[in-house]
Parts: sequence; structure tokens; C-alpha cells
Amino acid sequence: MFRTRGKWISRILGLSLAVAASSTLAQSGDEWVTYGGDYANTRYSTLTQINSKNASKLRVAWIRSLGSLESQESTPLVIGDTMYVTTSSGPKYVFALNAKDGSIKWKYEPELPRDYMATVCCGLDNRGVAYANGRVFVTRLDAKMVALDAATGKELWSVTVRDYKKGHAITSPPLIVKDLVVTGVAGGEYGIRGSVQAYKQSTGEMVWQTYTIPGPGEPGFDSWKGDSWKTGGGSTWYVGSYDPKLNQVYWSTSNAGPWGGHTRGNDSSDLGPYTNLHTSSQIAFDGDTGKILWTYQMTPADVWDYDGVNEGVLADLSIGGQKVPALMRADRNGFFYILNRENGKLVSAEPFVHVNWAKGIDKTTGRPIEDPSKRPQLNKWARNVCPNLFGGKNWEPMSYSMQTGLVYIPSFNLCMDIAGKNEEYEAGKFYLASEFDLDQADAGGYLAELMAWDPVKQQRVWGIKEDLPILGGAMSTAGGVMFYGNTRGILKAVDAKTGDVLWKFSVGTGILQSPITYMIDGKQYLAVVAGRSKGPPSFLGKMGQRVIDASPEGGILTVFELGN
Amino acid sequence: MVGSRFGVVFALSAALAALLYVQAGIAAAEEPNQSKRVVNPFEGRADLVDEGRSLFNQYCSHCHGPNAQQGERPRDLRRLKLRYGDDAPEVFYTTINNGRLELGMPVWKGVLSEDVMWRIFTFLETQQATP
Repeated sequence: MFRTRGKWISRILGLSLAVAASSTLAQSGDEWVTYGGDYANTRYSTLTQINSKNASKLRVAWIRSLGSLESQESTPLVIGDTMYVTTSSGPKYVFALNAKDGSIKWKYEPELPRDYMATVCCGLDNRGVAYANGRVFVTRLDAKMVALDAATGKELWSVTVRDYKKGHAITSPPLIVKDLVVTGVAGGEYGIRGSVQAYKQSTGEMVWQTYTIPGPGEPGFDSWKGDSWKTGGGSTWYVGSYDPKLNQVYWSTSNAGPWGGHTRGNDSSDLGPYTNLHTSSQIAFDGDTGKILWTYQMTPADVWDYDGVNEGVLADLSIGGQKVPALMRADRNGFFYILNRENGKLVSAEPFVHVNWAKGIDKTTGRPIEDPSKRPQLNKWARNVCPNLFGGKNWEPMSYSMQTGLVYIPSFNLCMDIAGKNEEYEAGKFYLASEFDLDQADAGGYLAELMAWDPVKQQRVWGIKEDLPILGGAMSTAGGVMFYGNTRGILKAVDAKTGDVLWKFSVGTGILQSPITYMIDGKQYLAVVAGRSKGPPSFLGKMGQRVIDASPEGGILTVFELGN
Repeated sequence: MVGSRFGVVFALSAALAALLYVQAGIAAAEEPNQSKRVVNPFEGRADLVDEGRSLFNQYCSHCHGPNAQQGERPRDLRRLKLRYGDDAPEVFYTTINNGRLELGMPVWKGVLSEDVMWRIFTFLETQQATP
């Protein structure tokens, strides 16, 4: 399904087809219509022309310089025969390219205030655009969102989502929900109060805005000590998912702010009422009104920067003979969660990496069973905490294959020391109240692993170990292949069942984002962006230096086709 | 032909640049502010290095690397002395107080006291790279 051949069909029906497709938790078809491939964020493609038998014949079809030097984290969209790809630094550019040969149809070069960089925490990234009904929606590091005419790149409207001078930024593409375009906001390291907001696609008029941290009188307000809710973080810097049948929008929330927790609660594993809702949580919003329908908090009273923004991947799983409408999340805190997405109830949660800060998840309360010695306190170090704040998995997306039933997770094998520190809040300033040492490998002699995970059995099936941290995301196909890249810029095609590496190619610098695939005129392509990550390695000390050394500056989009 | 014309232009430009450089040098020599050079009030205070390291790791390490270990050259503060020589304390002090917003460096004035800034610098002085 969702295989539009003609441009006119896709222009007229683009959105409705996408939504129709996602109503059955759709896969992407010939096009790649949204960040996660579909509104379930599966990054699973139904295309089979490139498959496990011929992936070794992949060769470069065309290359394009992206023209910016920071980390490249864009997932290109392909609508009809046009590819929309963003670059880092603002974005510096949004390109509309002929997806067959890379020639430029138009470029959008936004004017950003030059001082926006000082209020972006962790790299000048942009993860791509959203598309619906002939419009391209671009979010920016100065916390604006603009709509462009998809045919010309002309700006149709622009809105200020939040104030960048107070530490807000937008790094990820918005989500299409019927006639709305919905965006989150970054700033969990600047003492912001997170929110999700929806605008009319046609005019940019705001329809709803919901804060992730309850205000006075709202349920959950009592979970904050004093005025700490005002600077409590809970940002929404990654992407949402959407279930059109339930009309539920799923967004995940970041760490509580500041990282040090003594101002937000008891500064102890005995949390009392101070769980700091709804930080490090999964939230379901009503698509029309933004009303919060349910929440589930993965990490109550977070002090580890277990920034819970990782994407919710939607799938209907058969568990114990029953069909479960699942939301899957490989959380920063090291646990793989399956929630019932209708109501937010916990189905299962097991560690997918080495976890020592909690002994497990209490299945009745849904809460982690903490090891108190691993909770940092004011001026008191917690040593050798695993995973570290990069998490069991960071934002780099996982993929769920409907063919194998496996989830492919880019994971980390890192630990840390961390302590709370006193610090005063000032608007627009970094606000961590924490000191940390992240330069610690966990046991096993590797720093990252692309693992295949069985979500029903909650167990690891196979893994490919990597000697440097920070992996690119994963994409799987009905051709039985899983694709991912690493920090050294090696793109790999892997047998999705066995984990055997079928093909490798060096694209020249580090890969952070997952590849995409699409088909035009009967020919399947594979595309991936690459560039040096500058922000996250800065946290990692010597290990970060190795990451930087392995990935030269530059922005490259490489597109592959099958050779003879 | 084109090459040789460029050659002439280049030679003239170089001569002009050299002249300007000499003039700038004369002007600098006449500046009366040499005695007002910014200095670290805690210079050489080994007893403050550990505290400076801790403060650095709290406030600076997310961009400049824990313990100042950083692979991204422009952010590597172990190269302050190599880059700025005797002006390093002044550049450090000015940059922290005023920021370099267009390069991503925030204004820390009002957040970090001068006392904290110089403790951080005292730590950084122990980490300086050699050519």
C-alpha cells in the first residue's frame, strides 16, 4: 500500500495516504513521507528490490555536499521524485533535490539571529522536515517554525514557538496530525518548562499548547518542591508518533531540570511526593485538543540525565496469545518498555543493556527499584553508574521490522560518575547543577552495539559491537536487510535475521542518522547523510576525542543504487 | 599570462600588507595600556587546581570536555597559551564575561563570579599544551 507512482497523486493525496497507511501502523512505500518512515516511527520499508541476496552490489548513484560543517542528523523525506533534506547549523539550508540525480530544485536559507548558538546545548543539529499537502514544515534552532511551498521553497508563514533567548530551540521535525503540524521544543539544560504545541498547517495559527510540567492546580503539580516546576525541564526535543485510530499523539519528555535534583525534591531515593511529573515520561495527547490522556514516568525524580525523549515506536504485538496495541521505547535509563498505547499501562520492561542504578522495574507500580548508592546527591558522588547519561540508547532511531518482529537498537556500553552541585538559575544560561565524568567504558571491550532485540520475549537476539560510541540509527526493510552506519562513517547492510554483515561502504565521515530508502521509476535507492558530531563527543573526554578524530568535518549526502 | 598578472597583484598586495603591518606595529608600541595587562590573581596556586578542575567540569565541560580533554580544536582550552600567548588570561576573562555568542559561547557574567573564573583558569594553566 501507499505506493504512489505519479507526482500528481502524491501531491493531491500525499497526506491522506500517509494517514491511511499509518492507520494500520503503516510502512513506508516508494516514498519516505515522514521522519520515522511512518507515523508509528518504525523505520521499516516495504521495498524489496534491494535485499539480502543483492545488497553486496550496492554502489554510489550520486553525492551532494550539504554545505555545513556540524553534525548531520537529517532524515531526508522523499515525496514523488523530490527529496527534502536539511543541513546542520540552523538549518543552514533546506534543499529540495531531484531524488534521481541530486540536482537542486530549490534551496531555502533561513535568516537566523547570529546569537542563537549560545542557547543550543548539544550541537547545531536539525533532523529534517515534515511534509503535508504541498507544504514543507521546517523547525529551527531559534525556536521558530516556518511553512514553505513544497514546489518553490517560498516561505508561506513563520511562527515563534518559544523564546530562543531563554534557552528554547527546535532540533527535530514536527509531526503531521490531520490538518495540524505539531512540534516539541528543546531546552532541558536551560531550565525551560517543556511544551508541545499544534498549529494549523494552512496559516500557522496555534490551535493548542500543552505544558509537560503541570502548573498550579493541575494534576501532578504537587510532585515538585517549591517553585522548582518553573525551571523543571521536561523538554520535548525529539519526535512524536501518532495513532490516527485512537487520535493519540505520543511525545516523550526529557530529563528534569536542572540535572542535580536537590532543588526539586528530597535529594534521596526516598522520593516522597517529589517525582517531578511529567519529566522523563511518555505522554499521550489528544490529537485535536492537546489534552493529556495518559502519562507514564520512566525515571521518577531523574538525577542522571536519563533524558527520556527516545521515540515511541508503535506496533501491534502478539504477547501471550493476545494482541497488544504497543508503544515500544528503548529508554535512556537502560530499560526496554512496552506500554499499552491505548491507556499507558505497563506491559513489560526489561534491561536491554547493563543497568546498575535500578534492580528492575516494579511491575505493579511501574517504578524503577533504585539502588540508593547509585543516586547522586548534592556534593555526593555516585560512582560507576551504568548506563551513563548517553543512555542505553540516545536519540539515534531504532527500527522495528514487521518481517522479523525484531527491533534494531543502536545502544551504548558506557558508565559514569556523577554528583549534584549548587547552581543558580539564570534565563538563557546552561543550568545543570551537576558534575560528571562520562569517560568510562563498561565491561566487554566495546563502547556501542547495534543489537537486535525481541520485544515480545524481551531479550537480545544478536548484536554487532563497535569500538567507538555514538552509532547511527537503524532502518530495516522487507528485503530482509537492516542498515546502519557508525562513527567512522562505515555504512553497513546487515542480514536482519542473522546479523551477518552483507556489505560495507565508507561515506567519508561519521554517520549519526539512519539511512532511508525509496523507489522512483521502478528503481530503489538508499540514502544517508554524514558529518562530524561536535556536541555530544565534547561530553566524553578522551573517548570523545577519538570520535572527533574518526569523523572529519564536512556534510555529505550519499545515495546508492544496485549495480549489475 | 593570467598567472603572471596574478603574480604581480599578489606581490603588490604582500608589499601593502607588510607596510600596514609595520604601521600597526608602530601604533601598538605607542599604546599606553601595556601596564594594564589582565593577570590571574591566583597564578601558580597549586592548592586551587583541584577546585578549579571541579568548577570547570561543572560549568564548562559540556562544551570544552571533561578535564579540558577536547578533540574539537576551536573548543580546546588546552591551547589557550599556544593561541594567545601572554594575552591568554585577558582573552579568557573577556570571553567568559562577554561571551562569543556567534560562536556559541554564552555570557557567563553574573553567573560565575570572578573568583570562580580565575579558579577555573588556574586549573587550565596546568593543562596547557606545548607546540
